[in-house]
Amino acid sequence: MAEQPKSVWSSISFWRRSAAWVTGFAVVLLIWLTFDTIGQITMGTDADLQNGVTKRVPAPTVINYNIKYEMNEKRGHEAPVIGEKESFFGKEWSVDEAAALLHLGKLTSQAKNCMNCHTLLGNGAYYAPDLTKAWLDPAWNNDGPMMGMTGKSTREEAMAEFLMHPSKYPTHARMMPDLGITAEEAKGLVAFLKHMSSIDTNGFPRNFGKEQGGTYAK
Amino acid sequence: MIEPFTDVVPSFFGLLNQGPLTLTIFLHTIIILPMFWIYFSEKKKLNK
Repeated sequence: MAEQPKSVWSSISFWRRSAAWVTGFAVVLLIWLTFDTIGQITMGTDADLQNGVTKRVPAPTVINYNIKYEMNEKRGHEAPVIGEKESFFGKEWSVDEAAALLHLGKLTSQAKNCMNCHTLLGNGAYYAPDLTKAWLDPAWNNDGPMMGMTGKSTREEAMAEFLMHPSKYPTHARMMPDLGITAEEAKGLVAFLKHMSSIDTNGFPRNFGKEQGGTYAK
Repeated sequence: MIEPFTDVVPSFFGLLNQGPLTLTIFLHTIIILPMFWIYFSEKKKLNK
C-alpha cells in the first residue's frame, strides 16, 4: 500500500486543539472583561465628589454640583465636568436625600415609560429627543427658550414645570403628552436626569446640543 | 505610536486601546501565534 500524504489540515486533532484554544481564550477574555467593566461602572461616593476624584458614574449627591459639558481635546469629544456647588431646588441634598430622590426619579421614569419615546444612556427610542444629556441641553439655559416659556428662574424648576404640564408647552412637532407627573415625581425626574448627564459616556450622544434634526424631532 | 492614557478609569484594556488597531493587533497576536505552534506540533506528531 502506497504511503498516504499526511496533511495537518485534514487532521482532526489539529482542528480540535485550535477550536479548544480559541474557545477557551474567548471564555477567559469575556470573564476578564466582565470584571474589568465592574470597575468602570461602579458608582462613586460623596467623598469622591468632595475630593475631586473623577468617576465615570458619580454619586447621587452630584445633584448639588454645577455640571458643565466641555470639549476634551485629548479624548476628542465632550465630557461632563463637575464644578462648584450649587443649590438644587433651593437646598443642598444630603447623601440619603439625594439617593432617595434619584430612586424616585428612576422609578418614575420606568413607571411613565420615558424610554417608549426617549433614549436614556443608549436605551430606548428616538421618537423624542435623547435624554442622556438633557440637563446640559442649551435650550434650558437662562437665555434658552424653555426658561422663558415656563416662566421659571432656575433650570431645575423649569424642567420640573415642563414635566408636570408638557402638553402646555409647544416644543417639538411631536409634543410630549401629559403623563400626570406629580410635583414630587418631577423633582425626582429632574434629579435623575441631572445625575445621568454627569455620567461620562465617552461623548455619547455625539454632537449633543449642536445638531438640529434627527434625534431632535423637528 | 504610544499616546497618553485617556480613559477615566485605568484598566489593562484601556491601556491597550491606544487607537483602533492596537487592541486588534494584540488580540490577534495572542490568538493566532499559539495556533502556529499547534500547527507545527501536530505536523511533528504526524510525521513521527
